[in-house]
Amino acid sequence: MTPVLELKTVFKEFHGVAAIRGVDFTLMPGEVHSLLGENGAGKSTLTKIMAGVYEASSGEVLFDGKPRVFGSPAEALHNGIAMVFQETSLIPSLTVAQNIYLGNEKFLNRLRGIYIAAQQFLQSLNFGVDPTMYVSQLGAAQKQMVEIARAVHHKARVIIFDEPTATLTPEEKHHFFSLIKRLKRDGVSIIFISHALEEALEISDRITILRDGQHVVTDEASNFDRDTIISAMVGRTLSEELYSRDRKRTVRPYGRKVLSVQNLSMGKMVRNTSFSVYGGQITGIFGLIGSGRTETAKIISGVIKRDFFHGGEVRLEGRSVRYRVPRPAVKDGVVYVTEDRKIEGFFETKSIAENIYMNLLSADLNKRSVISHSEMMQLADEWTAKLNVKAIDANARVIELSGGNQQKVVIARSLVQLPKLIIFDEPTRGVDVGAIAELHRVINELADAGLAVVVISSYLPEILNLADRILVSRQGRIVEEFSVDEATEEKIMYAAVH
Amino acid sequence: MDIGKAFRLLNQERIVFLLTVLLFVVFSLTLNNFLAAGNLLSLVRSVAVLGILGLGMLIVVLGRGIDLSLVATMAISVAWAMQLVSQGMPVYAAMTSGLLFALGIALITGILVAYAEIPPLFATLAMATFIYGFGRAHMITGTDVVYMPKDMGWIVELGQGHFLGLPMPIVVAAAMALVVFLFLKYTKLGAFIYAIGDNLPASRIGGISVRPMLALQYVISGGIAFVAGIITATSVEAMNTRVVNSNMIYDVILVVVLGGVGLSGGRGNVRNVIVGTLLIGVLMNGMTIMDVQYTIQNVIKSLILLLAIVVDSIVNPRDEQTGQQGDI
Repeated sequence: MTPVLELKTVFKEFHGVAAIRGVDFTLMPGEVHSLLGENGAGKSTLTKIMAGVYEASSGEVLFDGKPRVFGSPAEALHNGIAMVFQETSLIPSLTVAQNIYLGNEKFLNRLRGIYIAAQQFLQSLNFGVDPTMYVSQLGAAQKQMVEIARAVHHKARVIIFDEPTATLTPEEKHHFFSLIKRLKRDGVSIIFISHALEEALEISDRITILRDGQHVVTDEASNFDRDTIISAMVGRTLSEELYSRDRKRTVRPYGRKVLSVQNLSMGKMVRNTSFSVYGGQITGIFGLIGSGRTETAKIISGVIKRDFFHGGEVRLEGRSVRYRVPRPAVKDGVVYVTEDRKIEGFFETKSIAENIYMNLLSADLNKRSVISHSEMMQLADEWTAKLNVKAIDANARVIELSGGNQQKVVIARSLVQLPKLIIFDEPTRGVDVGAIAELHRVINELADAGLAVVVISSYLPEILNLADRILVSRQGRIVEEFSVDEATEEKIMYAAVH
Repeated sequence: MDIGKAFRLLNQERIVFLLTVLLFVVFSLTLNNFLAAGNLLSLVRSVAVLGILGLGMLIVVLGRGIDLSLVATMAISVAWAMQLVSQGMPVYAAMTSGLLFALGIALITGILVAYAEIPPLFATLAMATFIYGFGRAHMITGTDVVYMPKDMGWIVELGQGHFLGLPMPIVVAAAMALVVFLFLKYTKLGAFIYAIGDNLPASRIGGISVRPMLALQYVISGGIAFVAGIITATSVEAMNTRVVNSNMIYDVILVVVLGGVGLSGGRGNVRNVIVGTLLIGVLMNGMTIMDVQYTIQNVIKSLILLLAIVVDSIVNPRDEQTGQQGDI
């Protein structure tokens, strides 16, 4: 059987820096092939070469056994290679149906016709999305579904999924996996990029692991387990220290009450929620996407406003506060570390040092109106050392760093503001395994130093491993609290879903 | 490979700079009087006002805005101030009134953009029309042209005087460029303008007061417009308010964009504006000596702009790593 897609010693350079170094890869018809590796290992770059986003610097791409070069994603799509991007590539101002049919419209394109066709098509995929909705109104998971539907609709023979499950709820994941099985039965080849190793193990036929742009190993999925994958990914075994519940950990006691939230409400996202946060410990908040966790955190830190009437009350150290903008919150020592660092986390034209220094300036902590270069470099050196940011030097631009190092810079930006209460929203999203351990260490140290720390996460092992007490959010409200001793994955998930 | 490396070092600013040098050399060799000291001074002098306005535009563009009301603010505030002098108001009081008018109107623009969240393109376009209409209807009586009163005192020197042999407009433009450079590079407020232009939500979460900063950008550019107006009026001893209806504002945008300032915000500095201004200066001067028609001059200017942007996009292709929403 000839492979659908074959890469032979492919190299790819960006500005003289090799991102992919001589990788071989084969994709057989009807197989699910997982591509694993740390952030920056070259998974995305490799798949983008297949999908025509990038052109390989050297090496060959064979499609159906013939050498092909796709000049654009559109050309690749036309030939049957579809890519479902990490960042959604849908057009927000068009409806779901229009997006699905984008590029496939008939000359006379009747909306009613495509709505009916799209409705049937989405139903056949078991996707509960209304085809007449505008994409801008959809949540992340629904956008993902539309994106998948579009790829399937284009009768793609190869579909590349880049982190498809990161934004899906368990139920939606279940749908997604059954869809993958169906596609596979129809002879579609699937490339699956994920950080969730269990998913990759469950669903793949074969697994390829990349490290630093090089091919490490390709083998049948049944020959792998979690630990062998991780050790191949990072070149060392650290699965044990990460996410192991066997390790006896001491639960930090309750400190003074730093934050108390009563009956907080904001539209339909946050409904009458109440909870407290204490100093010197980590409060974990678990909830599914759309359960109002992020919105609650953003209201507390002034990023968005609560309802004007019946909006409830937020007390910081006993004092009632109402922040209209983040600035007074920052000055009071309440900082929010965003879940979406590319959009609202850092300045992409600026260096690591400038990024960190900017937040010192904006918090008015150095009481000066003229910039001091030496102060900036000193601050940057101090924090890159503390958080172990890996970069050539502090003058490197943040956009050039890997996900984990970007996240460390974003955290450093918050920490220079000397917070009393720090809220981490999905602190390890899109971060490689090696960096997760370091980020967890940093978060633990903050709590040990007496800060009130909140960690919002939809990854259960992370919450169980980090938190000293666990709050569960559902439909805009904190519905349950667990101590570490009584919490199990099942109990937490039950509370989050029912 | 060396050529490839050198090629990669090119960016829009450098391309425009090289183009300026190239044109300069070509004009020096082919045109008789081009290299004469008098001509070079008049070359720079002719674009001094454009350069000053470019600095105002730079500050707004860095914060991801655009100010189309610059020329209107410049013309009406200065024309009104001079008319107040003619009507008998003391010079300093009149000039202060003019400056306060420019700053006040710019503050309104800033509030419209920052607090009412009207896109800067529309807010400043509407304000430009408003300033001109209101100014002509209620502030400036008589014809379109307000002549400079006789008793302006030392202020006249700003347009006509010399400092160390250099015409004052050049000196003022250079001083303004230095001030804006120091402001953007070394002050906290300057850093905030870059930050907001780069990433507004991140600036906001970081604790920068985004809205006052946005308003401040327009106030600064309004003040700069007033200075540019004073230079214009004192150079030619009159302010023709019809300049508002000319394509001067496009020239201001041209020098900013030509020099390589990113219209999507956060990218660019004073050097870009200087380079863009000088290219336009050399080009206009050379073409004037060659007696090229005004309409043809416009065609050539626009072709140069397109060329610079095209070459830049070939040499520095935008990919998803470097691209930004709203990039041009």
